[in-house]
Amino acid sequence: MEKLMQILTEACPGVEFDGQTALIDDGILGSLDIVTIVSEIMEEFDVEITVDDLVPENFNSVQAIMALIEARRG
Amino acid sequence: MAFTSLAFLALVGAALAVYSLAPRRLRWGVLLLASLTFYWLGGRWTVGYVFYTAGTVYLSGLALGRLNRLRREAPPEERKAVAARCKKQRRLVVLWACLLNFGLLYFLKYWNFTAEMLQPLLDRLGAGGQLPVSHLLLPLGISFFMFQSVGYVIDVYRDKYPPERNFGKLLLFVSFFPQVVQGPISRYDQLAPQLYQGRDLDWDQLKYGIQLALWGYFKKLVIADRAAVLVETVMGDPWSYGGAVQAAGVFFYCIQLYGDFSGGIDITRGVAQMFGIQMAENFRRPLFSTSLTDFWRRWHITLGAWMRDYLFYPMSLSKPLGRLGKWTRRHIGGTLGKIIPTSLATFSIYFVIGIWHGANWRYIAYGFWNGALITLALLMAPWFAAWKRALRIDDRAAWYKVFQVLRTCFLVFLGRYLTRAPRLLTALWMIKETFLHPQLSDLWNGTMLTLGLTGFDIGVILAGMAVVVAVEWYQERGGQVRLTLERQSFFVQWLAIAVPLAVLFCLGILRGEYISSGFIYQQF
Amino acid sequence: MSSKKWLVTFFATLALLGGGVLAFNFLTDPFGVFPGALWEWPSYEMTLNPRSAKVSYIQEHHQEYDSYIIGCSSTSSYPTEQLNEYFDASFYNMFMYGADMLDVEQIATYLIENYTVKNLVVGVYIDNAITYDTLPDERSFAIQPAVTGEDPVDFYSRFLFMDPRHGLDKLEAMGENTYAAQAFDVFDPDTGAYDKKERDAEFIGGLEDYLAAYPAFAAYPEGYRIMDEGAVAGTLESLARMRDLCGERGINLLVVCAPVYHEYMAYFDWAQVEDFYTRLAQVTPYWDFSLSSVSFDPRYFYDETHFRNCVGEMALARIFGDGGVYVPEDFGAYVTADNVSQHLEEMAAARPMEEGAYTAVVPVLMYHDVAEEGDPSVTVSPERLEEHLAALKGAGYTAVTLEELSAYVEEGAPLPEKPVVITFDDGYLSNYQYAWPLLQKYGMPATIFAIGINVGQTERYKDTVHPITPRFSYEQGAEMVASGLVSVQSHTYDMHQWAAFEEGQARENILRWEGEPEEAYREVLARDCQTLREEFTAGFGEEKVNALAFPSGQWDQLAQVVLLENGFDITFTTQPGDNTLVRGMSQSLLGLDRYTVGEDTTGEALLALVANARG
Repeated sequence: MEKLMQILTEACPGVEFDGQTALIDDGILGSLDIVTIVSEIMEEFDVEITVDDLVPENFNSVQAIMALIEARRG
Repeated sequence: MAFTSLAFLALVGAALAVYSLAPRRLRWGVLLLASLTFYWLGGRWTVGYVFYTAGTVYLSGLALGRLNRLRREAPPEERKAVAARCKKQRRLVVLWACLLNFGLLYFLKYWNFTAEMLQPLLDRLGAGGQLPVSHLLLPLGISFFMFQSVGYVIDVYRDKYPPERNFGKLLLFVSFFPQVVQGPISRYDQLAPQLYQGRDLDWDQLKYGIQLALWGYFKKLVIADRAAVLVETVMGDPWSYGGAVQAAGVFFYCIQLYGDFSGGIDITRGVAQMFGIQMAENFRRPLFSTSLTDFWRRWHITLGAWMRDYLFYPMSLSKPLGRLGKWTRRHIGGTLGKIIPTSLATFSIYFVIGIWHGANWRYIAYGFWNGALITLALLMAPWFAAWKRALRIDDRAAWYKVFQVLRTCFLVFLGRYLTRAPRLLTALWMIKETFLHPQLSDLWNGTMLTLGLTGFDIGVILAGMAVVVAVEWYQERGGQVRLTLERQSFFVQWLAIAVPLAVLFCLGILRGEYISSGFIYQQF
Repeated sequence: MSSKKWLVTFFATLALLGGGVLAFNFLTDPFGVFPGALWEWPSYEMTLNPRSAKVSYIQEHHQEYDSYIIGCSSTSSYPTEQLNEYFDASFYNMFMYGADMLDVEQIATYLIENYTVKNLVVGVYIDNAITYDTLPDERSFAIQPAVTGEDPVDFYSRFLFMDPRHGLDKLEAMGENTYAAQAFDVFDPDTGAYDKKERDAEFIGGLEDYLAAYPAFAAYPEGYRIMDEGAVAGTLESLARMRDLCGERGINLLVVCAPVYHEYMAYFDWAQVEDFYTRLAQVTPYWDFSLSSVSFDPRYFYDETHFRNCVGEMALARIFGDGGVYVPEDFGAYVTADNVSQHLEEMAAARPMEEGAYTAVVPVLMYHDVAEEGDPSVTVSPERLEEHLAALKGAGYTAVTLEELSAYVEEGAPLPEKPVVITFDDGYLSNYQYAWPLLQKYGMPATIFAIGINVGQTERYKDTVHPITPRFSYEQGAEMVASGLVSVQSHTYDMHQWAAFEEGQARENILRWEGEPEEAYREVLARDCQTLREEFTAGFGEEKVNALAFPSGQWDQLAQVVLLENGFDITFTTQPGDNTLVRGMSQSLLGLDRYTVGEDTTGEALLALVANARG
């Protein structure tokens, strides 16, 4: 979780991630951010995330992202 | 068939009437009939292309659906093997669907351009011969409905939803009449259920639909069509004007484009809403974009989203790019190393967006311009952040927002030189003229009144744009125009009907080319 | 309000607004596309859209016509009165400005299929080889769907949803309408032709003056025209279809190629011209007036591309062999497939005529009272008058009558070597007492412009006590007229009043009073002309009263137009100057200048004046 937060704040400085539940839907994260974050996650967590995973539901909150990582790890 | 024609209004009226009378389960059929009628009236036999696209995506959708089911229903022990086999076939199907559609699109829209480019090369090689040139008409809205349809196939491929089994219904999704000509590029899962549902007409939806369409007509007829006259004059012969007038031409082109495109989309969405159908938003007040990236999130949203979901994501996460990423991280390192693959993908996307607009060097340059700027911004982000810190700039300060908006407007404005000038070199020359030889006095010495518009017309355009900006500003700050209106007294609400109608009549519909009778007949 | 209420309000407002505009456009109908508009004004509507407005006009008036002449604007210049006479028919001029042959065919076909058509004259202009099937403006050049088969919704919505300013313009123009043609009403709806009453009343004479008035001819604009194969083919096909249709229906078809100004003709490549005219001859025989000596004289043209009505008269006279009308030798030929190559050779050889061969310079002298005393600049003693006459005779001048001038211009009759016209203004008794005997002595004819109401007044001005220089009586005048040497013509019946002795506003000249309604003024002037003609015919035995000297030399365009309409086709000013008469151009008899002569003018000086005029 901490590692994820670090990735996030580094990729998107100035964004308040805590408590957000609609990061995508509210347009806080753009596609560039998503791709940056995803490639970082793949690198750091050594998981494979595919295009099919790139849906808003998986990126709307930090928890959702974490859940995605867990699912792909399993 | 133009949205501004009487025939279109008649079609909408008739479709609404039949729709409301038809039994619920047949209503999608009414929409299909209206859609085919619409396309037939506008494009006659080119309606064949719609059938072609619908047919190919229908069949590939079915095939993909079958493969997906196969994979899903395979017994656990065979699942892996089946999945592997299916994967190959699924890819093949999706590849074919893309090839059949984009191949045709390429042939219709881009082949002549390619041939033109290759011919000199061929000649130089002494290969002789003449590359054939296509004389086929470009079917209306082909770029829109093809992208929308291919999106459907890819979604089915990704197993987002099962394929549509009823060809008629899929055909309706491809050809839905308010959108077939100029988008928005809808998603099947968002639009299709609404099309097939057959909701009863509803007073609220009718009202909102009409209001939205009126707003669209205002932007199109009062602002855009008027500005077009001036743009036509300047861009038809930019060599006759100084840099400032050329810039004015581009400025009015920006207005024209926005009014025309967003107005058209509002009409589309308004008409759809009359049937109770909510279409995707395509413009979200692009005038208030704070960066070029932000601009593309607000301008032609559905195209950007399509590119993102079906091109940018797959590309960014593709193996070659992944490998490149690993390599850059290792050898370049830092932010730059991390960002290079993404930048590459970004750049490619804007390049494709450029080409999507048309087969022309100017559009390629336009794509290049957007891609380069955005990529540059991406790569330079750390420096920018450092500068801001050094200059103690507060990101949230109002003046900084204004600065960002103006900066973005300016960059978009420069890009428009590329899309509207008669030729690429002319566009570059015009930009040079604008800055080096503006001849500013042309703006007030009467030259502006020789461009086909009277001072009154120019005033109408600017005032119209002021209204648009004011309304969007209100919305940007969270205001709900319709709700605010509904709270007013009957008289005010009536004014909100009568005034726009009167404006539309006097300044839009009835404009025509008014030639004072003294001018019509000048010479025996 | 509820959404339902909103919708009702919306549609009610829409109907109110839209209906208002629609109704206004329908009722004003500035382009004349709807039948029976509330504010009908055919001349205005034809100006804005000659095609539709004329079709609308014919829909209402087709019983009055049985023959049509159709073509582009140059076709306007073949007078329908003359066509009526030659064909013994009732013609309507359906010409449309900017018409291409498709317009002509569509309208002709429509007329033939819907109404009685006995004769069809089709005007071909060389521009028909450049344009075919064009619509420069979707309102001014549009033709009703009934004629073209266009989608009526599309057509009528263009006029219903049009800017109401077009209709407002029409209402405004109604307030500014004048008897003369203005930019917004250039048609004469009864004949369908352009209203050229003013242009045909311009004073035209010497070439130099004309070039000064029409500088376009002095420095003809540079240019070139390229014939378009599509246009040529289209034009010929349209003509062939019209030929066949007329053949089927037994309609008399006449194809006429309009005179072209030579410098405009030079815009074209001669090989293309030959090709066009040759192929035209293979489709139908035609009368060709395109290039001849007439093409070289700008006076025969209203502007760079439009020939004058008088040229149209000559063309028709040539076609119908009317010997009473002057027609230049080389003007017009009947062209068929057999003689077209020969005709083209002749056409290529067309040259201007020598000035002397069709123009004549005629000085006019103006006398008043003949008396020993009086203002020596205008009054002349009998002795001085005799000196004048003798000097003229001695120098070889021949005094000619106005009839001879007319015959020269209208019929091309010859004039003597050195013609001179002698005139006396006001109708003084002294003209009878002193001038007439002298005229008889020298055998020189003269014209006296008498004021009708003053004839025979020897003591007082009208019923006043104011003394008047005595005027000759009807008996005395009749005596002179009977001699054949004197013609008494008009100095107006009573429009040369003495303001001091009139009750109310005086008519000192033939001009319209300031603020006087045109209608009333035309009435006054017409009545004056009529009364004078009746009195002079009865009182003097004058056969033809058709000349007038402007009182005080004052005139304007409107006055000249009204005079022409009342049969006064020779008019005189008091300006000194030379007059050039042009054969085939009756306008050259208007506004003839005159040298004022009196006691001050010696015989020698007189000869110098007259010689100057020749100069």
